[in-house]
Amino acid sequence: MTKTIHFLAASLIFTVSPLRANEFSDADRLFTMKVKPIFSEKCNGCHGDDQEKIKGGYDMLTREKLLAGGESFGSDVIVVGDAAKSFFIEAIKWEDPDFEMPPKENDRLTAEQIKDIETWINAGAPWPDEAIQTAIREEESRQLVTDEGMIVPTSGGLADEWTYRRYQPEDIWAFLPLEKPPVPTVQGTVENGTGYNPVDSFVQAKLAKAGFEPAPKADSRTLIRRATYDLIGMAPTPKEVYDFNQAYQKDPNTAWTDLIDRLLSSKHYGERWAQHWLDVARYADTGGLSNDYERSNAWRYRDYIIRSLNEDKPYNEFVIEQLAGDEMADNSLRSRISDPAAYQKAREKGDQYNEQEREWLVASSFLRMGPWDPAMVKNKEARQLYIDDVVNAVGQTFLSTTMRCFKCHDHKFDPLPTQDYYRMYAAFSTTQLAERPAPFLDSESQRGFEESKAIAKELYEFAKKHTAALTTKRENAAKAWYKENNLPYVNHSDRKDLPDESKPPRHVGLTPEETGQLKVREQDVWIWERRLERYEPLVQSVYNAPDPKFLNARKLRINTKPNPKAELENHILTGGSLEAPGEKVTPGVISSLGVPVSDNGEDPYKITEELDGRRLAVAKWVANPRNPLTARSFVNRVWQYHFGKPIAGNPNNFGVKGSKPTHPEMIDWLAANFIENDWKIKDLHRLIMTSQTYQQAGEHPESYELGNKDPDNNLFAYYPPRRLSAEELRDSMLRITGELNPDGGGLPIMPEMNMEVALQPRMIQFSIAPAYQPSPTPEERNCRSIYAYRVRGLANPFLETFNQPNPNDSCEARDSASVSPQAFTLLNSDMVTARSIAFARRVEQEADTIEDQVRRAIVLSFSRNPSEAEQTKLVDYVTAMIAYHREVEPEKKVYPTQITRSLVEEFTGEPFEYEEILPAFRNYTPDHSAAEVSPQTRALADLCLLLFNSNEFVFTY
Amino acid sequence: MKPICSRPVSTAASRRQFLYGLGASLGSVAMTDALAKEATSAATGPLVPRDPMLPAKAKNVIMLFMEGGPGHMDTFDPKPKLTDLHKTESKTTRGLETGFKFYVGSPFKFNKVGQTGIEMCDQWKFMNDPEIADELCNYRGCQAESLNHPEALFHMNTGSRLGADPALGAWATYGLGSVNQNLPGYVVMTEMALPQGGSRNWSNGFLPAYYQGTALRPTGSPILDLKSQDYKSREHQRHALDTLGFLNDQHAANHPGHAELAARMESYELAYRMQMEVPEVMDLKGEPEKIREMYGMNNKDTATFGKQCFMARRLVEKGVRFVQIFSGGWDSHDYLERGHSSRIRSVDQPMAALIKDLKQRGMLEDTLVIWCGEFGRTPDNNKRGGVYSIGRGHNADAMTMLLAGGGVKPGIVGATDEVGGEAVDVKHPIRDLHVTLLHLLGLDDNKLTYFHGGRYKQLSQFGGQVIPELIA
Repeated sequence: MTKTIHFLAASLIFTVSPLRANEFSDADRLFTMKVKPIFSEKCNGCHGDDQEKIKGGYDMLTREKLLAGGESFGSDVIVVGDAAKSFFIEAIKWEDPDFEMPPKENDRLTAEQIKDIETWINAGAPWPDEAIQTAIREEESRQLVTDEGMIVPTSGGLADEWTYRRYQPEDIWAFLPLEKPPVPTVQGTVENGTGYNPVDSFVQAKLAKAGFEPAPKADSRTLIRRATYDLIGMAPTPKEVYDFNQAYQKDPNTAWTDLIDRLLSSKHYGERWAQHWLDVARYADTGGLSNDYERSNAWRYRDYIIRSLNEDKPYNEFVIEQLAGDEMADNSLRSRISDPAAYQKAREKGDQYNEQEREWLVASSFLRMGPWDPAMVKNKEARQLYIDDVVNAVGQTFLSTTMRCFKCHDHKFDPLPTQDYYRMYAAFSTTQLAERPAPFLDSESQRGFEESKAIAKELYEFAKKHTAALTTKRENAAKAWYKENNLPYVNHSDRKDLPDESKPPRHVGLTPEETGQLKVREQDVWIWERRLERYEPLVQSVYNAPDPKFLNARKLRINTKPNPKAELENHILTGGSLEAPGEKVTPGVISSLGVPVSDNGEDPYKITEELDGRRLAVAKWVANPRNPLTARSFVNRVWQYHFGKPIAGNPNNFGVKGSKPTHPEMIDWLAANFIENDWKIKDLHRLIMTSQTYQQAGEHPESYELGNKDPDNNLFAYYPPRRLSAEELRDSMLRITGELNPDGGGLPIMPEMNMEVALQPRMIQFSIAPAYQPSPTPEERNCRSIYAYRVRGLANPFLETFNQPNPNDSCEARDSASVSPQAFTLLNSDMVTARSIAFARRVEQEADTIEDQVRRAIVLSFSRNPSEAEQTKLVDYVTAMIAYHREVEPEKKVYPTQITRSLVEEFTGEPFEYEEILPAFRNYTPDHSAAEVSPQTRALADLCLLLFNSNEFVFTY
Repeated sequence: MKPICSRPVSTAASRRQFLYGLGASLGSVAMTDALAKEATSAATGPLVPRDPMLPAKAKNVIMLFMEGGPGHMDTFDPKPKLTDLHKTESKTTRGLETGFKFYVGSPFKFNKVGQTGIEMCDQWKFMNDPEIADELCNYRGCQAESLNHPEALFHMNTGSRLGADPALGAWATYGLGSVNQNLPGYVVMTEMALPQGGSRNWSNGFLPAYYQGTALRPTGSPILDLKSQDYKSREHQRHALDTLGFLNDQHAANHPGHAELAARMESYELAYRMQMEVPEVMDLKGEPEKIREMYGMNNKDTATFGKQCFMARRLVEKGVRFVQIFSGGWDSHDYLERGHSSRIRSVDQPMAALIKDLKQRGMLEDTLVIWCGEFGRTPDNNKRGGVYSIGRGHNADAMTMLLAGGGVKPGIVGATDEVGGEAVDVKHPIRDLHVTLLHLLGLDDNKLTYFHGGRYKQLSQFGGQVIPELIA
């Protein structure tokens, strides 16, 4: 790239120049602007760019070669002046199965592109020389908007063709300035007491055009279930349903708005909606990859998200804190402590951060959410992996832009030059990872610290003791060897680099089994050492500095040692390769959005080159009300979580290839309104939920016709039912059985999980990860699922089966396919069986006869009374099951306190064994099991289990 | 040709077809197994067998994954030059080891076997049967990218180093469905310990969950929670499912337009059938002693892998599309001789038995068998704990693999340099191997796509090429 940055005037004048040079024809123009760019983008990769490797002998770089043909066809490939006879057209139309060009589904030409090539051939396939092409392009570039699309001013692509290519405005809708469109007037839109809801106007305008009426309003029971799952992620209690039904009969509108207000002010609201955020941000309590090291205190970020949502923190502040909270904390600290040395000391010690500064530091954990481990990766590459990951995460999360798509080349479809990728990359290139000390906030729970610390300590001591025993044995043998060889004893670390002849063998005195055991124990010492850091007030955060000399995810602290080798200059990495640095770039933001960060006329998108301040500049740019992507991105996500489907189909990708919004004006109206409303999230919920669209029934009277015309419900003609998420299922079960511990926060809880999985050996680097041990008491285990320990290398099998996403990748939408393992886990697992027994016990306490118990169980699960047929059938079922259970005696469940592990030693290929202790099971309070309850309870539990398996429980409408 | 798979199978439209195709019979979970099978085969369910896009050479795949990275120069790619250079200083920068490095000669001797002269180290005592060797293709040109186990495992299994994309087996079942509707289409078997990266190695990624690998566990319940609680009999369960069917019928009657209800009921039916079928498949009781002997199931060293290889044959015979077995412990940084000889011993007889057995049953021609690791090993090593440790580091630039059956051309393909440092002939990245494997199954990587995140995604990420030398 040779160009200096050439921003076109910020205010575009949309006129077409009447003047046109006469030296070239329309066909020349067509070739230059349309046909040749298609060739370069779609064909030349195999047909010309690499002259050594030309596929099928067909070179398309010049007119002569293009017309000459290749191995499989001759000059009939293009019949000049007759596209219909040209084989070329057949190939690009994919009419001949042996010549489908370009061969990739992703690269297929559009009908319009094919037509352009046809027109060009029919016009004689002219190929003007370079000078004319340049003249044509220059003339074109002076007209930003023509009937062929618009040029988007950017910092410039790697080639002019890219820089001056045109986009259809509807394709790049998300990159264009956000303007609040007028609300359409629709006849028949229902006033809800406070006026017409704009959401309904937008939805019904489109619906009317398609010839459909909206679905009728849902009944009050459906409404309270829908709202309760939606806002707090759990089933409503019978009392809540009763109260709502009563209020609804009096005044539906007030009852509904009161319900929404009650749910929004519940602390469970933050827990439910934080889960959505954490799906996108990729939250986990470990770092993944080979070591899967614990990220001690990652939970502080999880609680920060919950807290922020419950406090209704404006979204723009929420964004800035997560992108640059550490910079804000340090700026604030520096304003209080001006002496540089004292400031540095305070920063490393952390104890002087005030409440607000600590909160900011915790927010910056967002930048630590990706899987990352520099083990076995070269330093430079490990840094690149981190920066690429964080840049992509920022793009997907806040801007609905997949940044990796323009890392190796200018974006194939979107107005995003690779230069901008590396400008953003440069903005994050001084971001270093560290666990930073910052005292716990008053609002941060330190519950359970002592108990779980004692367990971690015991495991640490156990590992230490065994390590010591094995090293002592080895050193005794070493001493004997030195004595035998008449040499003075040299200790283990000092003799490492001595020649082989002058020291004992490496694992002297140890059998191969013991060698393996020693490695496991040493690894365990690290693991538990790290676990003990949980009880220190650390934050998974970042700081600004040049790259440090060494990286090890086991321990990351603020590193002030200078690294003379650190490079501060950034380059475009050609093809994404560290080995191919191209042109130098300075930190900056994406230019095509037209949101400048400075009044630097030459380069208004450039940000500071200082170590500090880069991210804060990026953060403010993201949260700038003029940034067209930020608010659109967020309102689209919120809409998706309310309706189970978004307005724009790919919440992580608003680019040309993402699904276009079904209601483009509505998404813009919502986004603009959101900004006007100070980015308040709870008001956005209120707006959406008070719409008629939200309150529609889950079925449409014309479902058959709609199924044919709008199978994906893009019209929102009815409220789309959805399967409960993994967390909603578990949390609702706990709430219905009465076992839920409504408190939460602080250390991750360890729910019971399938014991086979909990104890299953799991490979990590050099060793096996320690077994999963549940928390010893039900109160600790039965908090909501968002508080559960999230290990990248060990998914909770229940939650995973119900599509809890892989935290290695940002999840824009959950899958909910019904697969058989879900049936196994809901019907047969210990976990759900235990819930069914707890449910039965609750019902027995609240109702005496079988008839009343059945009724109560149905009311608790479905928020309604049973039908007569159900009542009869289910009472019969329970009665029959009582008879069955009188004849059987379940076995009592035993929890191991110690297990024997067996592992193949990686160096010797020999299996060896070792003991692992499970202190959590020593004083363990199990759930009530089948063996300790009566046949009546078991029979009732059978019914309860079926209720949890039923479609009515699993789907919400 | 029209691409058959460029659209998610589970769009609302096809879900609706699914429902209409099944009619009301699915309303009852009490349906007999025979009826259920009939109903399923008539449906357009996500796992129903589909025709390949291209003429297929292979119908099924058995992939034997050697986790840790077998040393090519210690298994199938002899490097006599290394023996000459043994313990002399090496100046290469390959791999991650730093400090003083020295070359390591293989502790094993090599022989040429069969008509194509497949080279095998002397630790292979069953695979060195010429009859087997003549079925083998030894490919030496593949190159990985990552030097770290989980990333390299993810890359070989899913085409991406990040561990979030669909596995090869998921793509294969997505493209072809699976013949047996009572068993999962993609089955994975692991050793005692899960490989690094765990179940992400057989994940459905962004494909619908129907295509995820189902891990058959080596001990305990083959599928988690497959069996009822011990105090609940089969009759008890039947009664429970009938009652559940009643509840769901009542519910479905009130929600006629909601197609997913039927799909979910069907998943319970499949679960019920799997509960019968899976333990039957796992049960070795009926098998003659000869078979146990042949697969090495009676020998402590080979019992696990032997049983898994046997299971793989049986699963493929029963119509499972893709079977993968993970065998760990190949990461010989030290004690190479002990390590590799013991690993080879554990897989040698079972693999040989598998190939022979498939051949005898006429299954080898349409079953593609692959033996590979996530990368190869370096020609040299660094000192460990200050001593000359005889082992090898991770090498992304060279590796070795075996392919057999399924339209593969027997013989040696490609080459590494004289010390095995890097591939030099018929050199291809992993994506090309993936494209070739799909091609053998009659699937075109460029058309086997799934729209996700705003882009048609494919196994090779951005396209790759078929390796013609591997194809018969």
